[in-house]
Amino acid sequence: MDTWQILHIPDNPPIAPDQQPTVDAIASLIDPKFANTLVRRLNQISPLENLRHVKRVKKKFVEGVYLTGKTQLSVILCLASENGNQLESMQNDVQELMNSYKLSPFITKVCKYAALSKEEWEEQCKLWPTSYHPPTYNIDGITGFSEEDSQSVFRFMKYAIQLAKSSDNLVVNAAVIVDPSVKQVITTACDQTCSSYSPTNKITLETSCCEKLEAFISHSDSDGVLNHQTVHSNSFPDKSKQLCTGVSCLYPWQWADQQSDMSSCYWHPLRHAAIVAIESSAARDRYLFPSLGKIQDKSFEMDNMQSSSAGSPAKRQKTNSTNVHSDDNLTNGEGSSSLSARPYLCTGFDMYLVWEPCIMCAMALVHQRIRRIFFAFPNPDAGALGSVHRLQGETSLNHHYAVFRVLVPQQILSREG
Amino acid sequence: MSSLGEEYPDDTLTFMLLAIEQAKVAMDCLEVPVGCVIVEDGKVIASGRNRTTETRNATRHAEMEAIDTLLEQWREKRLSQSEVAKIFSKCKLYVTCEPCIMCAAALSFIGIKEVFYGCGNDKFGGCGSILSLHSSSSEPLISGGAPRGEGFKCNGGIMASEAVSLFRSFYEQGNPNAPKPHRPLAQQATQ
Ligand SMILES: [Zn+2]
Ligand SMILES: [Zn+2]
Repeated sequence: MDTWQILHIPDNPPIAPDQQPTVDAIASLIDPKFANTLVRRLNQISPLENLRHVKRVKKKFVEGVYLTGKTQLSVILCLASENGNQLESMQNDVQELMNSYKLSPFITKVCKYAALSKEEWEEQCKLWPTSYHPPTYNIDGITGFSEEDSQSVFRFMKYAIQLAKSSDNLVVNAAVIVDPSVKQVITTACDQTCSSYSPTNKITLETSCCEKLEAFISHSDSDGVLNHQTVHSNSFPDKSKQLCTGVSCLYPWQWADQQSDMSSCYWHPLRHAAIVAIESSAARDRYLFPSLGKIQDKSFEMDNMQSSSAGSPAKRQKTNSTNVHSDDNLTNGEGSSSLSARPYLCTGFDMYLVWEPCIMCAMALVHQRIRRIFFAFPNPDAGALGSVHRLQGETSLNHHYAVFRVLVPQQILSREG
Repeated sequence: MSSLGEEYPDDTLTFMLLAIEQAKVAMDCLEVPVGCVIVEDGKVIASGRNRTTETRNATRHAEMEAIDTLLEQWREKRLSQSEVAKIFSKCKLYVTCEPCIMCAAALSFIGIKEVFYGCGNDKFGGCGSILSLHSSSSEPLISGGAPRGEGFKCNGGIMASEAVSLFRSFYEQGNPNAPKPHRPLAQQATQ
């Protein structure tokens, strides 16, 4: 891999246009003069419920003799049952319709799912016509990046990779939240599932450097794809295990198996980089836009009064204020310029992650309304944006982000990068 | 997944009532009303309620709050990872609404024993509604294998109508003191 590249990871796994799944349907040629009546009746008695993209009628122009071509119409009567005698399993009213119009049914294949691209759609129509609706949401980048935007994407990814290198002892995942409209970093975070520094010492955490990523990356293949042999610890010496296990999203269950003495360390099984970054951007929001502070304080008191068992709120507040302070230092230089526009959560912001997030982090990013996610390396055992799950394709969710993989040139991963 | 009408231990409703109490605390604080308690050996060791508005962090769901409370306590006691994992593996969670995908994953990562929930969560549910993160993967692992959770037992529909009526009154009352410009009603249903 010598050059930077951005790949869109679509909501659904790509299917070769000519290998799309199909279902069998029962169709029949019809006399064009009955077309309207028949279609109306069929839509009532035999709606194509899960096949709304499939057109009821297929038109075909047939060359006739003496150059007088004519249009041939066929219509889908119903779906074919998967077993047994097709005609017997047909609904009675469909059969009646068939008899009264003297139709002669045949089996045809139709595509099971709506086309996701123009190529897929053209292929579908060779079997039976379907309708195609290009995505109505338009998130910048799905249709390509300008040179300027690409450069900015590469710059932020490079920054995230540097953060992953700079954490102490372990190679960790790093997260960078960016406001793309002003190309500004909102906040950064690294995994804290297992770190030598408590989360309140953010500055120290992020300025402390180590060179371990280089050693780790040498185990990756030239694609930057994590080599399975490396990831799966059993077959590898302790050193590489130690190096790899730092990436929380790759091993979300592994925190419990920690062998070494961690009593002096801060650890938390759920503080994956994305979760920490969300927390930090929320703290920044509360600091920069304190207008809601009073409501916050009031509910805080309420909580103290009403739920004595709800942990140690005083402690939590202390932690939060320390975070706010750290964030202020981290993101210095900005502030007054962005004060005018307070975003709702992370609406409009981009997230850069070195590794594809796990399902917990991917859902957290839905909750916080991130607009786009860029990651460099896939997470084959636990990734939620295409590897194991594909959360961007879950249509029931109330927010959808676009997902991109950034291919990184080899030299960026080495020390000089 | 079990459903309503099955026999549960006598204390199930008691603990669910405590979770509902937490949801009411959330509602009084103008938060989406979801609450939970975590129980070890028949004893409540933590509670939590939704805190997304206050924190402006949409991930601060009741479950995450309760888990963090416990981890904070155990950190002060200097428990090791394996000690913490051992306690979590004995813990049961009672929550008023089916854990979302994020929380279900978190519960699987910490290795909780069992979850009892009230109403289903047909937009975000991670315990059967949208994804089934509570059931351990039966697929064979590729080469060697990183450790993977065992999953947890999940029981839904416990006092579901109480949980639903809390949501209903929350959305009907329209949340008069909430910061409206930044938080349209439609966007509040993050749990
Ligand atoms: Zn994660
Ligand atoms: Zn949740």
